[in-house]
Amino acid sequence: MPDEEVLEEGVLSPVQPAIQDPLLRELMADAPTTAPALAIPQEQAQPTTAPLEEVDCVVIGLGAGGAPLLARLAQAGLKVVALEAGPWHNPAKDFATDERAQDFLFWNDERLSAGGDPLAMGKNNSGTGVGGSTLHYTAYTPRPLPDDLHIKRDFDKGEDWPLTYDDLAPYYEEVEQFLGVSGPSPYPWGPSRPKGYALAPLPLNSAAQLMVRGAEKIGIRTSPAPNAALSARYYQEGVGWREACTNRGFCQAGCSNGAKASMDVTFIPLAVKYGADIRPNSFVTEIERNAQGLITAVVYTQNGQQHRQPCRNLFLCGGSVETPRLLLMNELALSSGQVGRNLMAHPGVQVWGTFADEVRPNKGIPGGLISQDTHRPKDADFAGGYLLQSIGVMPVTFSGQVARGRKLWGQPLRDYMRNFNHIAGINILGDCLPHTSNYLELSDELDARQLPKPRLHFTAQENEHRMNAHAEKVMRNIWEAAGATDIWAFNRYAHVIGTARMGLSGDDAVVDRDGRAFEVPNLYISDNSTFPSALSVNPALTIMALSLRTADKFLEREQHRDA
Amino acid sequence: MSAPHYPAGTVRALLPTAHVSDATRAALQQRLDAPADYAPQLLAPETFALLEAVAACLFPQPDRPEHPIPLAPSVDQRLAEGRADGWRYDVLPPDREAYRLGLGGIQETAQALFLNDFPTLDTQQRHHVMQAVAGGTPPGTTWQTLDAARFFEEMLAELTETYYAHPLAQEEIGYVGMADLPAWTKIGLNEKDDREIPMSE
Repeated sequence: MPDEEVLEEGVLSPVQPAIQDPLLRELMADAPTTAPALAIPQEQAQPTTAPLEEVDCVVIGLGAGGAPLLARLAQAGLKVVALEAGPWHNPAKDFATDERAQDFLFWNDERLSAGGDPLAMGKNNSGTGVGGSTLHYTAYTPRPLPDDLHIKRDFDKGEDWPLTYDDLAPYYEEVEQFLGVSGPSPYPWGPSRPKGYALAPLPLNSAAQLMVRGAEKIGIRTSPAPNAALSARYYQEGVGWREACTNRGFCQAGCSNGAKASMDVTFIPLAVKYGADIRPNSFVTEIERNAQGLITAVVYTQNGQQHRQPCRNLFLCGGSVETPRLLLMNELALSSGQVGRNLMAHPGVQVWGTFADEVRPNKGIPGGLISQDTHRPKDADFAGGYLLQSIGVMPVTFSGQVARGRKLWGQPLRDYMRNFNHIAGINILGDCLPHTSNYLELSDELDARQLPKPRLHFTAQENEHRMNAHAEKVMRNIWEAAGATDIWAFNRYAHVIGTARMGLSGDDAVVDRDGRAFEVPNLYISDNSTFPSALSVNPALTIMALSLRTADKFLEREQHRDA
Repeated sequence: MSAPHYPAGTVRALLPTAHVSDATRAALQQRLDAPADYAPQLLAPETFALLEAVAACLFPQPDRPEHPIPLAPSVDQRLAEGRADGWRYDVLPPDREAYRLGLGGIQETAQALFLNDFPTLDTQQRHHVMQAVAGGTPPGTTWQTLDAARFFEEMLAELTETYYAHPLAQEEIGYVGMADLPAWTKIGLNEKDDREIPMSE
């Protein structure tokens, strides 16, 4: 990968920070070698290049939110341009089986994490490149259960979706079949489905086998998990044959053989086949409007050149941080007062144990086994619920968690890490309630592009604490029953959700159920920022389903207008 | 240290084989071949020496007296290039400032506790200083403006991840995930593929 891309992606600070601290000033004055000038090409205000022709739609962001609708719009014959901040990779060539060598897949631009439970970003939940965060998601694709969508009706807490499970079910099915999701048919939890998963489940790795062992003993049902990684070769329009998973276990870094259904090997090739214009390394800075408040163009920087792309409609698909950041920077769709608010993060407590058996936790699909028996636990003292999954892990990620979560260092850390091949984990993915103290704002600190860094405030509330405590107890019981020793919990929060919620009216929501902004009729948002509640499942499948639905609703409206 | 590990040379023996992709081999070989003498690019020589002493305390490597896995160069290089990992605790200043402040603070705490510079302390004393910083309320005026526990956590995580990204550290914990071609076929409990040689005690 060319150097300038690395540099563009992760920049600490654009300017020499003013040194506030006297001790630091002293240290620096003493130091004969002061900091060299930043080896980062500074963005200068560039004259815009020759004007580009107006297109029907511009899509910003090519992850789970942007890629499916891009394909749909292109298939409908519209002229579409996609702007993706990151580069276009060649997985077979670029993706080493090495965590550090793959860290260019993460959104490494700095975000500021504030609050009582500051959220880890970057590799924890944010991706960049053509494919977005799906380049390093675990491909874990459970559907929410119907009651996930009306947590307020059921618990008088949180917010209901302006959509039902039945509105989304056909889209879930379409996405599962298109991606080639491997999973159990019938699926043990939730309503019966007209169609089973596209492929048989992936083989259970050792962590999954251990979880079966422990869960059976304490009466928790388990099942192989649905994963968007191929358990057999699969044919896909726009791509051809995709090869089966090789059990490499590097899903959270980046799949090198195309078995994992990231957007770059699924919806994006389909979009390209139908004429979508993909522009990688394109960072959007400005959204222009006319006197009526309609969006007319976006301004973006690509390889140091500034461009202006006029468009009739804009689809904003940057995820729960970059989407509200663009809205806030451009003072767009702010009248509901909800942009940046309702930030939620999935409780994702992990419980690790050491086994006499050889585990080798890096092999096989990381999220191998699922249980949704804990979806609405009978003894719950909290609203909502969670799912359980076995987890695989790679050494660098694991060691970092041991250092942070277990507070081990020195010889005890090295001694513990020598058990790597005997360690297995389980984690949860639980619902989260919105709270006024959890939000995103623009900070005063600027990044290399001279744009304000986002600041995320997150403090887990009573409901999250109670859910975590319940879940930790269940997971400890499973591991004890499976024969684990030295059991410990790593308290973490995963996916960032909310910040531009959908709802029934512009009084308390940013977009309607179709993803259309109440305030700006030709602006659509499609990503996890529009989720009114967090759901007790991984978000990727729902983001993709919503993306296709948003495209369909948009196309219907366009048809009516033409008629 | 009786825990099972791969015999020395396991990873080096695997690297040239067809089980390792070109991209993977290049990444790991580069780390193995890193020159022993590194000249700091951002930190002043004495600050860099301090970081090396801290790293040696957090990652004692008595088993590699001649050639410990280098940890401080990776930090200095990252700071010099201005790379980040996507987030920062809001309570901490930008990374360059945090490292300079924090290392200065460690020095200050060493002086406060043992009336000496950190690198001149013995193993036990160094351990005490780090314990105080990790605990969050070490002596020293620096720590009034810099959150000691968060700084310690960030620095420890960075050094730890650097250590376990090294092929020799991966060998030490019995990891050969880099040799993933053409596929892993034995992924269940107590199963291993032929190229996963038995580990020794």
